[in-house]
Amino acid sequence: MVGETLRNYLMIAWLLPLAGFVVEIFFGFYSKNPRHSKAAAWCAVGCIGAGFLCSCAALVTWGNANDWCALEHHDSHGEHADAGHETAGHEHGEHAAGDHHVAEPAHNAAAAGEDHGHEHAVAAASGDAADHDDHASGSQQTTYSGVLYTLGKFGSLELSLDYYIDSLTLVMFTMVTLIATCIHLFAMGYMSEELTDEYVDHQAHTSDGKHVHRPGRFYRFFAFLSLFCFAMLGLVLAGNIFQVFIFWELVGICSFLLIGFYTERKSASNAANKAFIMNRVGDFGFLIGLMVLWTFFGTFRFGDTTNAEGVVAEQGLFSMVHRDEATGNFLTEPITGDVLITDNHGHALQQDGQNRSIPYYLLVVAGLGVFAGCVGKSAQFPLQTWLPDAMEGPTPVSALVHSATMVAAGVYLTGRFFPMFVQEVLLTIAYIGCITLFVAATIAVVATDIKKVLAYSTISQLGYMMLGLGVFGWGAGLFHLITHAFFKSLMFLCSGSVIHGCHHEQEMPKMGGLLKKMPITAITMLVGVCAIAGFPMLFGLHFSGFHSKDAIVASALAFMKANPSHFLLFFIPLLTAGITAFYMFRLWFYTFWGTPRDHHVHEHAHESPWIMTVPLLILAPLAWLCAYGGESGPLYLMLTGDAPSHLANGVAAATEGGLVMPGHEAVHAVHIQAGLLALAAAFSGALIAYILYGTNLVNVEQMKNQLSGIHGFLANKWHFDDLYDALFMKPAHKVAAFCAWFDKTVFDSILHGSAKLVVLVSQWDRIFDEKVVDGFVNLLGTSTQSVGRSFKVVQTGRLRQYVMFIVLGVVALFAVVFTTFPG
Amino acid sequence: MTPEFLLTAIIFLPAIGALVLSIIDGKAVDAIRFMSLGVTIATFVLTLMLWMQFDYETAGIQFEVSKAWIPNWNIFYRLGVDGISLPLVVLTSLVSMLSCVASWSINKLHKGYFMLFLLLETGMMGVFLSLDFFLFFVFWEVMLLPMYFLIGVWGGPRKEYAALKFFLYTLAGGVLMLIAMLMFYFNSGGTEHSFNLIELAKAASGTSDHITGFLSPSMQITAFVLLFIGFAIKLPAFPVHTWLPDAHVEAPTPISMILAGVLLKLGGYGIIRIAFPLCPYGAAYAAYALVAIGVISIIYGALAALAQTDFKRLVAYSSVSHMGYVLIGLGVWKITEGTTVNSDMWLMGINGAMFQMVAHGISSAGMFFMVGVIYDRVHHRDLNKFGGLMGLMPLYSGLAAGLFFAGLGLPGLCGFIGEIFVVLSTWNYSPLLAIIAASGVILTAGYILWALQRVYLGAEYKGPHKEDITRMNAREASVAIVLLAIAIVLGVFPGIIFDMMHASTSALVESMKLGYQHAADLVKAAADTQAMR
Repeated sequence: MVGETLRNYLMIAWLLPLAGFVVEIFFGFYSKNPRHSKAAAWCAVGCIGAGFLCSCAALVTWGNANDWCALEHHDSHGEHADAGHETAGHEHGEHAAGDHHVAEPAHNAAAAGEDHGHEHAVAAASGDAADHDDHASGSQQTTYSGVLYTLGKFGSLELSLDYYIDSLTLVMFTMVTLIATCIHLFAMGYMSEELTDEYVDHQAHTSDGKHVHRPGRFYRFFAFLSLFCFAMLGLVLAGNIFQVFIFWELVGICSFLLIGFYTERKSASNAANKAFIMNRVGDFGFLIGLMVLWTFFGTFRFGDTTNAEGVVAEQGLFSMVHRDEATGNFLTEPITGDVLITDNHGHALQQDGQNRSIPYYLLVVAGLGVFAGCVGKSAQFPLQTWLPDAMEGPTPVSALVHSATMVAAGVYLTGRFFPMFVQEVLLTIAYIGCITLFVAATIAVVATDIKKVLAYSTISQLGYMMLGLGVFGWGAGLFHLITHAFFKSLMFLCSGSVIHGCHHEQEMPKMGGLLKKMPITAITMLVGVCAIAGFPMLFGLHFSGFHSKDAIVASALAFMKANPSHFLLFFIPLLTAGITAFYMFRLWFYTFWGTPRDHHVHEHAHESPWIMTVPLLILAPLAWLCAYGGESGPLYLMLTGDAPSHLANGVAAATEGGLVMPGHEAVHAVHIQAGLLALAAAFSGALIAYILYGTNLVNVEQMKNQLSGIHGFLANKWHFDDLYDALFMKPAHKVAAFCAWFDKTVFDSILHGSAKLVVLVSQWDRIFDEKVVDGFVNLLGTSTQSVGRSFKVVQTGRLRQYVMFIVLGVVALFAVVFTTFPG
Repeated sequence: MTPEFLLTAIIFLPAIGALVLSIIDGKAVDAIRFMSLGVTIATFVLTLMLWMQFDYETAGIQFEVSKAWIPNWNIFYRLGVDGISLPLVVLTSLVSMLSCVASWSINKLHKGYFMLFLLLETGMMGVFLSLDFFLFFVFWEVMLLPMYFLIGVWGGPRKEYAALKFFLYTLAGGVLMLIAMLMFYFNSGGTEHSFNLIELAKAASGTSDHITGFLSPSMQITAFVLLFIGFAIKLPAFPVHTWLPDAHVEAPTPISMILAGVLLKLGGYGIIRIAFPLCPYGAAYAAYALVAIGVISIIYGALAALAQTDFKRLVAYSSVSHMGYVLIGLGVWKITEGTTVNSDMWLMGINGAMFQMVAHGISSAGMFFMVGVIYDRVHHRDLNKFGGLMGLMPLYSGLAAGLFFAGLGLPGLCGFIGEIFVVLSTWNYSPLLAIIAASGVILTAGYILWALQRVYLGAEYKGPHKEDITRMNAREASVAIVLLAIAIVLGVFPGIIFDMMHASTSALVESMKLGYQHAADLVKAAADTQAMR
C-alpha cells in the first residue's frame, strides 16, 4: 500500500519531465512564435517543480509509514555503539543487505527529539504532524520494490523495468528535483539571449570568418533539460541494474545533446562526441559486469519481488549473496572458494544437485565491470578527460548535468551496488578515487578558465566520494555526494552569473574586483567556496563540506590504521584537502577580489537579474547547512537509513594479510583526529591562496615562470589527451582504414580474380569447344559418312542376299555366345 | 476471408498489381505511383489482419495451406506462418510500403520500376510464407531477378557492376542451397520423398509420422555448411559481405531500404527456419563458428564503417556490423558433454537475434532513407562535404539523429534491445567472444557520432549545391516519422515482438535439443559398435 503510493509519487515525478519534453519539442516546432516565448521554460520548470513536490510527498509518506525510524534508529545505534559493539552488530546483522522486508528495530522509540524539517522544509509541515504516531514496537519496512513492466521473458529469465525505493532513492530524488528546479529557473535568465530570431554566436565562425547567425533555440534547450531530468530520475528509481544501464545511456545522450548544444561550434561537437564515446568505454566494462551477473545470477533486480501474499516470489541480487555474520565476508564453498548463491536465509541454492555458486574472481570481474561504468560516468581516472571539455555546454548544463547529478550517478551506482562488491574491488575503487582526486586538483590549480577550475574541482570531489566508498565509508561517500551537489551546483551557477555578467568572458585573468559589481554572486560564491573547503562555523552551523569531507577523511584514516600498507589512501586526500581550499580560494580571489585586470570587461560587468540570483539565494543556505548536525544530523541519518548491513562491523580479513574493512566504531574513534588534520590542511590552503591572490605580496606571474616546467605539465592536463590520442584514437583510425582497404582491395580482388579466371576458362572452353569437341564431332560426321558410303556397296536391294546376311549373322552370334558361355 | 486465402493474397496481391500496371499508360506517372502505393498499403493491411488473427499461444504453424503443385515430385504449394515468420512478414509489408513512398524520387521508366518493385515484394513474401523447400527456393530466385534489374537500371554510376555482383553472390548461395535441398529430398526416405520443411524438421528430431528418412549426423554437418554459406551471403556475414556495400551504394534509395530492411533478413530467417531445424546436429557442430563469424562481422563492419567517406557506404557497413548480432544470438547454443546447458540463455539469444532483425529492418531502412533525402538534394554523399544541416533542415536533422541513435543502440530505441539481449546471452557460451562483441558498442558510437557530426553539426554546409537544400517535404517527413515512431515503440515495449514469437522460439529450442540428442545418440551408438568390434 505504502509502496504503491510511493511508487506513484515517484513515477509522477519521473514521468512529468518526459511529458514536458514532448510538449516543449512539439511546441517549439509547431508554434508560430517559438523564438520569443518563454512558455517552454515555464513548462519545464513546472514539470520539475511538480516533481520536487512529489518527491517531498514521497519522502513524507515513507517517513510516516515507518515512523521516521531511519532518524531514530541511528540515535539508538549511537548509544548502543558506546555500550558495546556486539549488541549493535547483532542488530545490523539481522537486516541482510537489500532484503525486501528490512527489519528496522526501533529500539528507542522515545528518542523522537530529532527535528526532521531542516532540509526538506516542505516535508516538515506535514511530516511532523504524523510523526508522533507511536508504533513503539515491531519492525518497519523501509525498502519497497516491485515490477513496472516486463521487457522480455525467456523461460526462467526475465528482464523488466522495476522500482526500488529506499531512503537513498528518496534523498536522491529530492536532491535532484530541488537542484534541477533551481537550475531551470537560473537557465531561464541565462539562456534568455536565445529568445531571438537572429542569435549571433561569437564563438562559431563560417569559412569567410564571420560569426554564425542563427535563430535562437530557447525551447530546444529546455526540452533537452527536461529529457535529462527524466533520464536522471529514471536512473535513481531503477529497480535493477539493467534498468540503471538503460538510463545510464539516456543521461549520456542527454549530456551529449546538451554539451553539443551550440552545434555550430566545432569544439562543442567534439566535446560532445568525446563525452559520449569515453562514457561508452566505461559502459563496455559495465556490460561485461552485466553479462557476468546475468549468467550466474539470472536476475538483475536489486530487491526481491513478492507476490500478493507478501511471500518472496523471486530473489534479487542483494539477497542472493550472504555474508558471514562474524567476519562480514561472503559465504563460500569451503574447497573451491567460490561464492555461494543463496536463498533468503543464507542457504545455498541448488542446481542439478549441486550448490549454485559464482567463482570469486568473476565476482571481482563483475564488480570491476560495474565500477568501470561508474569510472566513465563520474569522470574518474583514467576516463576523466571528457568532463573538462564538457564545459563547452551552457553553464546551467554544467551545473546540473556535469556537477550535481549525472556525474554523481557513478558514485550513486557504486553506493547502490555496494553489497555486491568484494574487498579487491573496493580497494580498486579507493585507489582510482585517490588518483583522480589528486590529479584533478593539481590541474585545477593552474586552470584559468573559471568553468574549467570548477570542472576539475568536480572531478576531484567525485574522487573523494569514490575514495570514501572504497575505504568502507559508504555513508561518508554518499553524504559528500549530496553536499557536493548543493555547493557545486551553487558555484557553477555563480560562475554562470559571472560569465553572463561579463558577456561570456570565462578567463579569470580578465576578471578581478567583481565583488562590488556583483555582490550577490560574490557572496553566494564565497559560501560555496567555504563549503567545498570544509570550514567550520560557530554554533555548530558548519559548512556542509566540513561534515562530509571529515567523514571521508576519517574513514580513510580508519582504513589506513587497519591496513597500514595503504597509507597513501589517507595522506593524499589529506594533502588534496589543502590543494582544494587553495584552488577554490584562488578562484574566488582571482574573480571577485583585488583590482580589475581588464577594464573593458569590468566596466560592462553587472549583477544578474533576479531570476538568476534567486536560485543562488536558495542554493546558498542549502549548500551551507544541508549537512546540519553532521553524522547525527537528519541528512546523514536519512541517507544511511538503509545502509548495507555489513558496514557497521566492518569486514575481517578473508585471508592472512588480507584487507580489513573498518567498522563504524573504528571510524568513530579517529574522527576528531582526522577532522583536525583536514581542517589544518584546508586552512593552510586557503591562507596560501590569500597570500598569493588576495594580497599583492607575491608576484604570481614570476612564480609561474620559475615553475614553468611543472606548470606546463599541469596546464597540459598531465598530457592525458595527447596520450589517448596517440594510444587509441590514431590506432583506431589506422585499423579502420586498414579494414576498409582490406575490404576493397583483398576481398574484391579475390572476387575479381576469380571472375577473370572464369572468363579465362570460358575462353579456353570456347577454343576447346570449337577445335576439339566440334572437331571430334565433325570427324565423327565425316567418318560416318565415309563408312556409310562404303556400306552402300553392300546395299544391293536384293532380298536373298539380305536373308543370307541375317542367317550368317545369327549363326555367328550363336557361335560367339556358345563359345563364351558354354553350358 | 479464409486464412488460406489470406496468405495467398498477401503473396500475390503485389504480383497482380504489377500485372495491372502493365496495362496502364507509361506516361501516367502519378497513376502508376498511387496504384503501386495502394497495392503496398493493401498488402500491409492484409498482413495486419494476419497479425490480428494470429494466436500467440500456438507454437506451431498457423493458417497452413497445402495444395499439390507438382504431385509427381511431391512438391506442394504449402504456406503458413508462425511466430518466427510473422514479425518478418509484417516488417516486409511495412518496409515495402514506406519504400514505395520513398520511390517518388525515381525519375525514369516509372512503369517498369514499379512493376519490378511489386514483383520483388511478391518474392519476399513468398520466401517468408512458404513451407515447402522447393517453393521457398523458387521464391528465393524469383526475388533475385527484379532486384538485379532494379539496381542495374535505376542505380548509380557503377550500377551494372553492383547488380552483377549482387546477382552472382546470391546465385552462388542459391546453388549451395539447391544441393542441400536435394540432399534432404533424396534422404527423406520412405516411399515418397518430401520437400515439406515442417516434416523434415520433425524428422530431424525423430518425431515425424510421415518421413522415415533422416540425414545422418555427418551429412547434417555437410548440409548445414552448405545452407549456412548460402544464407550467410544474404545476411551478409564476414567474409562474404562485399556485395553489400556496392549494391547499397549503387541502388536507388527505396531499393536500399528494401535491401537493408528485408533482404538481409532472409539470411537470418533461412538459418532459423531451414538450416537450424533441419540439421540440428550440424548447427550444434558449427555453433562456435557462427558466433565467431558474428563477432568478427560486428568488429570488422564497425571498423570499416569508421573509415568510410561515402555516407551510404558507412550505413552499408553498419549493416554488416549489426547483422553480426543475429549470428551470435542464433549460435549461443551451449552443449557440455552432450547435453544442452542453460538453454534459457540460448532462447534469449534467439529471441534477441530475431528482435535484432526486426529492429535493424526499421533503423537501417530509416538510415538509408535519410541518406537518400539529402542525396536527392545535393547529389553527393561525401561525408567531408556536408555540415551545418541542423540549421538548414532542422526537422530532417532531428529525425535523422533519432534514427541514427536507433542504429547506435541507444536505450529506448529498437536497436538497443536486440543488441543487448544477444550480448547478455553470450557470456554463458563464451566469455571471450562476449567481451569482443561487447566492445563493439564503443566503435559503433564512434562511427555514428562522427558521421552525425560531419553531416549535421558544424557552422556551415561545405559541399556543392547549397542552394538546393530545402526542408523536408511532407512525404519524406511521413516516412521518417513512421520509422522513428516504430523505433521508439519497439524500444520501449519490446514485448510486442517477444510475445509474438515466444511460443515458436521456445518450441524451436526444444525440438532442436531433441534433434541434437537424436543424432548424438546415433553417433554414440556407432562409436560403441566400433568399439565392440
